[in-house]
Amino acid sequence: MAMAVDNAFNGVAVSDYSTSTNNSNDDFHDLFDSIMSIDALPYSPQVVEIDGGTNCNSPSNPAEGREEEEEEFRSLRLYHLLMAVADAMFGDHKSRELAQVILIRLNELVSTSHGTNLERITAYYAQAFQDLLDCAAVSGGGPNKPHHLHRDDHSPTDVLAAFQLLQEMSPYVKFGHFTANQAILEAVADDRRVHIVDYNIMEGIQWASLMQALVSRKDSPPAPHLRITAISRGPSSRRWIGTVQETGRRLVAFAASIGQPFSFHQCKLDSDESFRPSGLKLVRGEALVVNCVLHLPHFSNTSPESIASFLAGAKTLNPRLVTLVEEEIEHGPTIDGDYKVQFLDSLERYSAIYDSLEAGIPMKNRARGLVEKVFLGPRISATLRRIEQPQRAATAAEENCLWGERLEKMGLKAAAISFANHCQARLLVDLFNDGYRVEELGSNKLVLGWKSKRLLSVSIWASSSLSSSSSSSDSE
Amino acid sequence: MFHTTKKPSSMTPHDRPMCVQGDSGLVLTTDPKPRLRWTVELHERFVDAVTQLGGPDKATPKTIMRVMGVKGLTLYHLKSHLQKFRLGKQPHKEFNDQSIKDGMRASAMELQRNSGSSSTLMERSMNEMQLEVQRRLHEQIEVQRHLQLRIEAQGKYMQSILEKACQTLAGENMAVASTAAGPFKTTSNNVGTTSTNLVPDTAIKDFISPHPPHTFPPFQDMNNLFTSEPPPPPPPPLIDCLKKPSPFISGAGKAPIFWPDDLRLQHLGTPSATLVPPPPSIGSPPDLDSLQLEMYESKPPPLSPLLVGNDAINEKKFEASVKLERPSPRQSSGHSDERVNNNNNGMPNNSNPTMSQPQGRNSSFG
Repeated sequence: MAMAVDNAFNGVAVSDYSTSTNNSNDDFHDLFDSIMSIDALPYSPQVVEIDGGTNCNSPSNPAEGREEEEEEFRSLRLYHLLMAVADAMFGDHKSRELAQVILIRLNELVSTSHGTNLERITAYYAQAFQDLLDCAAVSGGGPNKPHHLHRDDHSPTDVLAAFQLLQEMSPYVKFGHFTANQAILEAVADDRRVHIVDYNIMEGIQWASLMQALVSRKDSPPAPHLRITAISRGPSSRRWIGTVQETGRRLVAFAASIGQPFSFHQCKLDSDESFRPSGLKLVRGEALVVNCVLHLPHFSNTSPESIASFLAGAKTLNPRLVTLVEEEIEHGPTIDGDYKVQFLDSLERYSAIYDSLEAGIPMKNRARGLVEKVFLGPRISATLRRIEQPQRAATAAEENCLWGERLEKMGLKAAAISFANHCQARLLVDLFNDGYRVEELGSNKLVLGWKSKRLLSVSIWASSSLSSSSSSSDSE
Repeated sequence: MFHTTKKPSSMTPHDRPMCVQGDSGLVLTTDPKPRLRWTVELHERFVDAVTQLGGPDKATPKTIMRVMGVKGLTLYHLKSHLQKFRLGKQPHKEFNDQSIKDGMRASAMELQRNSGSSSTLMERSMNEMQLEVQRRLHEQIEVQRHLQLRIEAQGKYMQSILEKACQTLAGENMAVASTAAGPFKTTSNNVGTTSTNLVPDTAIKDFISPHPPHTFPPFQDMNNLFTSEPPPPPPPPLIDCLKKPSPFISGAGKAPIFWPDDLRLQHLGTPSATLVPPPPSIGSPPDLDSLQLEMYESKPPPLSPLLVGNDAINEKKFEASVKLERPSPRQSSGHSDERVNNNNNGMPNNSNPTMSQPQGRNSSFG
């Protein structure tokens, strides 16, 4: 499979990494070159800030053609180094020492706050790899618990600022929220009571627009009573800006301000983060909706086990609707197999995200740097951890599949995306840069992508039996 | 038929070169199969005539021809145009969606060509299709309207978050500021004890937007916001920029956003850059400033005039409590340079001790 890694790598053609045996010599050769090369092209932070230019660096440079060549050379070199680390970490012949050496070299070349998109991404990847290495060294590798908490802890200001930037400058946040909300609205069009169970409520931002929409429904019963139950983790888990209670208070206040009947509840996960449906308070006659957002800006610091238990538990409740927002990850038929596929896919994905942010955030350096630091860096780390996991756990063949596919396997059936929903998504995305695309995949999934890379998907599911909650007599 | 003209009248600029204008004022194409071009004026006359005659169903090509009194107009022209008109009511109507428009035109053409055979069937499906198209357009407009409202609602909610964050921190800082004897401790940890969140004071204030959050001014206004701001746009710090209403939501589609340029971001540190820990100048918690600097990794700030400008604007925008922390303009570049150099290592990785400080402090809530 030829992986022409576009985006941040700017069309640098990449050798076919899938046939590694054939090319391994070449890879090695290039690797040595990269490591050993006396810096014919030294990395020079010629601009202190991150300039948005990728190939065209300084317009005043007379030898621009040569500039581009150098740029390509640099890109290629970084790319080789990254792949080499991945190979060393995940490949058949693991070598942590080799990985460490390469990382040292990489760190000389890139920095998370300077350089091109590619260079910054590489720096974040390098950081993430380093974390993996250190993790393993320290504790023998406990899954999902980064030992570099300080790196992932950001001040609330940072987080808030980064989030505000992200959701103003790119459609990632709104796309997920609005599409899910529209599906919910349509599903509960005639209900008087709606109950939403939210896996990852964060600041509750998704629900503001839902409430507004509920209140302004014209041709149906007046605003139904809305109940939201937020799944909360124990005190040990990382909070974003405030507590779940604060979120609840805020939502209550907002609902009051627009006249939406509303109540807020919490449901705590067990200490091992598994979900017990019995912990939920259910009311007869209410339409139950399960909302699960696993993508930006919701940090998925939760383990796959936790998510799995939540979804499984949710299914047993026979919800009217399940909305799922997740990263759109490409993987081959053998899911657990090829780390290369996943790694390259993740590279492409984050490159695309970086590019899209660059297009969306004219404020070049600080703002994007903030968003990258607060959101993307941790995501990259999480992705690498996820890629690494099956290697360690040796069980999770299912770990890396899309959650939507899991839902399907569990027996939920796809619920169609309406024309209005699709239309809304298109209109929304059109407000942002041209490069964003909305696609419909299957009947129940909308995918947001940048240029040709799919990034984020919203899928909606319904129970195959609509027996419980609202309707009384149906039974399968 | 094709009317040759003895003296072709001057062409109007927007006529295609292949058209000639006959004496009668009709515009005809010159391609081998001459077709009448229904200009807007001609069409309007047509519509007038039809209305006069009682509507498209009552009017007949013959009567229309008589009423219009346009020379050169034949029954053939009118027949086909009337048919189109009956189906489309207003074939000149502008649709938002170009593809729909093209589709309509295409099918209208096709219908015209096949007008002889099975016309009723065609008409019916044309009608249905058209209805469908119009329905979809309607829906699209509805969706757009709703989208706008929803985005505004979300914006309002975000605003409340930002404001609350502001207030909480401002309150805490007030308390700290008033109680702190020597504001400048060696570590920046003293504030950490009183609050769970550490935010530079100026950054807090900047959460509060000067503009009503939930109005989304059209793009032109946005332009004004950014370009015609009071004197030297002493750039409001980063967070403040965020609070400006999004220029996206103008309903008019994309618009390049005129965010403040990089210059503004430099100033993130500057007002506070003057609050240098070493010689304590003002009775304000320095930690905030060091925090801010660390977090934003500010570059060497520009010259002091801008700092002064900053203060002026800051004063305008911010509440009184900020005055406590108002940097004195004297404390200009010298200190800030020094501070900035401290923080501005080549690689602001987290191995940088100054970086880790605020984060370490924050782990209490994590």
